Amino acid sequence: MDKGKLKSIVSSRAFVVFNTLFMAAFVVITLYPVLNTLAIAFNDGTDALRGGIYLWPRKFTLKNYITVLHKESIVTGAYITVLRTVIGTLASLATNALLAFIVSRKRFLFRSQLSLFWVITMYVNGGLIPTFLLYKNLGLTNSFWVYVIPGMISAFNMLVLRTYMEGLPDALEESAQLDGAGYMTIFVKIISPLCKPVYATVALFVAVGHWNSWFDAMLYNRMSEQYTTLQYELMKLLSSVMSQTTSLESAKNASGAVTPNSIRAAATILTMLPIICLYPFLQRYFVTGLTIGGVKE
Amino acid sequence: MARKPKKQKSGTRITIKELKRQKFLLIWAGIFVVYGIVFYYLPLGGWIMAFQNYKPKDGFWHSQFVGLAKFQTLFSDNTFIRVIRNTLAMGVLNLVSTFVMAIVFAILLNEIRSRWGKKIVQTISYLPHFLSWIIVTGILHDALSTSGIVNEVLLKLNIIENSINFFAYPAYFWPIVAFANVWKETGWNAIVYLAAITAIDPSLYEAAAIDGAGRWGKIKYITLPGIRPTIMILLLMNIGNVLNAGFEVQYLLTNGLVQKVSQTIDIYVLNWGISQMDYSLGTAAGMFKSVVSIILIVAANTIAKKTGDERLF
Amino acid sequence: MSQKKISRKEFLRGSAASAAGMMVAGSLGGMMGQFTTLTALADEETVEFSAFFAMSGSEINSDNEIAAMIAEQTGAMADETWLTGQTDSEAIGTIIAGGEYPDFINGGDSMVSLYEAGALVAWDDYLEQYPNLKEMYSDEEWDKFRQDDGKIYWANVFQNSYGEDKTTTHNDEAFWIQAKVLEWAGYPEIKTLDQYFDLIESYVAENPTMDDGTEYIPYTILCYDWYYYCLENAPQFLDGYPNDGSVIVDTDTLTIVDYNTTDTAVRYFRKLNEEYNKGMIDPEFATQTTDEYTAKLSTGRVLGMCDQWWNFAYTVNDVFKQTGLDAEGCDYVPLGLTIDEGMENQWHSYGDTLNNSSGIAVTTSCKNVDAAFQFMNDLLDQNIHNLRFWGVEGVDYLIDDDGLFYRTDEMRANWSDSEYQASHICNYSYFPQWLGTSRDGINAMQPSQQSSEFFNDLAEPLVACFEAYGAGNYVDMLGSAKVETGSWYPMYSYSNAMTTATAGGVAWNKMGEVKHEWLPKVVMAEDFDSLWEQYMEAYEGANPQDFLDEMQEELDRRIAAAEG
Repeated sequence: MDKGKLKSIVSSRAFVVFNTLFMAAFVVITLYPVLNTLAIAFNDGTDALRGGIYLWPRKFTLKNYITVLHKESIVTGAYITVLRTVIGTLASLATNALLAFIVSRKRFLFRSQLSLFWVITMYVNGGLIPTFLLYKNLGLTNSFWVYVIPGMISAFNMLVLRTYMEGLPDALEESAQLDGAGYMTIFVKIISPLCKPVYATVALFVAVGHWNSWFDAMLYNRMSEQYTTLQYELMKLLSSVMSQTTSLESAKNASGAVTPNSIRAAATILTMLPIICLYPFLQRYFVTGLTIGGVKE
Repeated sequence: MARKPKKQKSGTRITIKELKRQKFLLIWAGIFVVYGIVFYYLPLGGWIMAFQNYKPKDGFWHSQFVGLAKFQTLFSDNTFIRVIRNTLAMGVLNLVSTFVMAIVFAILLNEIRSRWGKKIVQTISYLPHFLSWIIVTGILHDALSTSGIVNEVLLKLNIIENSINFFAYPAYFWPIVAFANVWKETGWNAIVYLAAITAIDPSLYEAAAIDGAGRWGKIKYITLPGIRPTIMILLLMNIGNVLNAGFEVQYLLTNGLVQKVSQTIDIYVLNWGISQMDYSLGTAAGMFKSVVSIILIVAANTIAKKTGDERLF
Repeated sequence: MSQKKISRKEFLRGSAASAAGMMVAGSLGGMMGQFTTLTALADEETVEFSAFFAMSGSEINSDNEIAAMIAEQTGAMADETWLTGQTDSEAIGTIIAGGEYPDFINGGDSMVSLYEAGALVAWDDYLEQYPNLKEMYSDEEWDKFRQDDGKIYWANVFQNSYGEDKTTTHNDEAFWIQAKVLEWAGYPEIKTLDQYFDLIESYVAENPTMDDGTEYIPYTILCYDWYYYCLENAPQFLDGYPNDGSVIVDTDTLTIVDYNTTDTAVRYFRKLNEEYNKGMIDPEFATQTTDEYTAKLSTGRVLGMCDQWWNFAYTVNDVFKQTGLDAEGCDYVPLGLTIDEGMENQWHSYGDTLNNSSGIAVTTSCKNVDAAFQFMNDLLDQNIHNLRFWGVEGVDYLIDDDGLFYRTDEMRANWSDSEYQASHICNYSYFPQWLGTSRDGINAMQPSQQSSEFFNDLAEPLVACFEAYGAGNYVDMLGSAKVETGSWYPMYSYSNAMTTATAGGVAWNKMGEVKHEWLPKVVMAEDFDSLWEQYMEAYEGANPQDFLDEMQEELDRRIAAAEG
């Protein structure tokens, strides 16, 4: 065994040790807030006010979850949220991908201008009231489509997609064109299948955005209860509980009531669950080595 | 991916033939431009408020015009100047720390051999993204309080003699905010890099191994260059966002003793615009932010162009 | 996020309603264009009003039982929407821009914007037809709601007592102390700030820790965000003035006095500074959040603090009860401190405080204005008022032989259960209501003011404490002077609605910023005098005179209006 090889083995070992320690520390630090939230979600709300709850509930209860799940309209909210997540994600992915495809074509005439046009949209904002007026005039208020249409294309997602597409070999497009394929075919049949990892990434970003959003429901569908979203219902519940804990009546009850913190924790856990379950399905697209060319190493 | 430096010369000239050839691209580009104008550019008409003394009752059409008065108010206010400094400082600090951490994390995660280990670590790492700031800052406040875990550890290790009230010192505030951002968003931000890593041709790693490259060598010569375009694009986008240092985390962590360093532009707008019903002032501040962002982006993009790197437009 | 303190306080105080035992039927008269009897009503379709309140509140289910009963009797119901995740002015700003209003609205501090936008219906033509509404205020009081066109557009629904005042809790600010400290000292008379801290110091000297060994925090101060009133506004009370909120009104000269710069203010902060340096004040006071503050109080470690009752009592008393700390005398009692001995205090304002800056309004989008007023009128009917605040007889409360309403423990527990609240209780909490005595002359309009309810589960040490001081309840503990407040009272209703459009509003906002930063520093200073000087320099930089001038103008205007 020569010295160089030994050195490389030592350094490789050192790397593994370092990396394992780093990841372990990282996992501990990131898992703690989640476990803490979980503990609080299972703990009596009033009792939790005393503080000192870390990884395990002190006074176990399911009351927080029951309160959240009993919230009226939570089912409607969940239904609309699922609907908007599915429709919104598909619509966003399709349009963003097509736009990214256009601006990533090297021959495209207005490549730079079109990119600039979209980049600017990331940094400008007309404000609440003008936007509200616009949506109202377009008939988007008090409608489901306000969730899908206005935020459909985002420059951020488009640029992530574009970067990925630009990394694909130009030869793919050229040879397809020699075979007589049009841009539509190139987009659907050649580029898209190669973009699965980045499609999964953008789909995740968009889906999580839809899943968590409530501001648009509050702003544009305030009076249309049939279009409420899950998170909006949870926000309303939270602010209900907040106003109750300071109301004259709640003081009389020592049997353990829910508090804003305990409800927030339960709601957080409940909304995280579906995402945790969904994640493994998306994850296979972006854990390295599984997609292109089989397992490496 | 960026195996070769890219030359982004748009060599194509506009000819009838070319237009015909690109019909599909042009039509859809046109549709997207119309969409963009309607949903992103049209509401900018609201910027007119910045030049008015906007009153809800008068609307955009009848509110009194005040010219640049709102901007004068902003820039003659020492608080606003200080607030810009805070926003920039926290913006840059957050940008650098979250950005670097996400890349480091993605690369190191990629080096985990066990497939299960990799999946589990990744799943856990992005969970804090789903916690609201109020939960995260609550835990942070606990951990950093005089009887919290951080002080306890420091005391046990004899690094300090007495507990430190971290939130009482302005010097700690920016790093705490940066840490909070890293804590919450590293795993989430790493996803996009993980996706980019998948595009790297595995045969490159094999070739490097044959050449005798170790772990570090592979990271340095293959992984990093492989995700360089993604890094550049995100860096450019984030540079435009330095003024969006946020307000929630600062708002939740601040107190009177550190308010001089904790107030951001967004908090200023909240205090002086929204809660004082001065919509115009808020709009003026927002416009200022947009203009600065666009200047930064254009400058950064020009530099990227010069160095032959990936650019936004 | 940053709500203002008074709107919150006012919201917390409120909740009650009522009106003469008038017809329950016929309420739909205006709406259906004909007189309808109760039985007939059941067949008619219920009118559903929309209502938006720019404050946070409790949503009720659409199949809420009491709402259905009220609908059966009045032929109408209200679908309430509350503020979520926005400030009141943001929400009202968007609603005005959109131009579509709910039938009823309470815009919080943005009522004037709604009025200016022409969104509200004037009450003047309707008041006479609806005696229950009319009865809410005297003519002079109604006049206070008049806008610059001379008409009334909204009515505040809170802090309005029918008949005798039934207040038992001091729902306002005070210096609080754990009952056991007073007991330990043999229930001494504590009249001044100095005596208060002497008491705390001597208690801690002898009892440095709790039974379980936890060290006491003798005194803490909440100063997170807008809660910093706990630190900031005591000087007005210590000088014997009532809670005008932002200024003192000198009753002799009828001028505005800035309580931030009085000698009393200097003495108060100097005292806090001394105590801080003696280790009597929580070293973390300046950086604690409201949650941390509540948690500290809940452990029983904190002996005293200055705060508003509603900010701590409901949660903290609840925990005390759960953990048995109430039996150890940890419950807080209020003390009516002044800066010097022999002064009268006005920590407690007897009677009603009329805040004319917000209230309930009917909008121009309302299709049937008569029915809307009829609905508000009906909600003040005694039977319906009882339904709203006491619930259903036999289910939510019982009546004893003397006609006194009472509740069992189970009823009380139900009443504070959030699910029960959503499915059963409907108090239409931002619609017109009464506090004080019910029309039957026996009960309180709202259970929170029923004294039998109050004493029902008072812990032993509290009862002993009240007895020792000859106090019947919390309010008596303070010994506040029963002074009639001036026609201008409360001045905060004006400063709350100030905007940066005026120099006074700008100064007011700046003063807040300066105080937020400097007051904790002053308390923590090693050299009080030099820091106070620096603070005053920064304070002058905020041009407080602009603010005071504007307040003086408003004071003069109010006095003239009351006389004129």
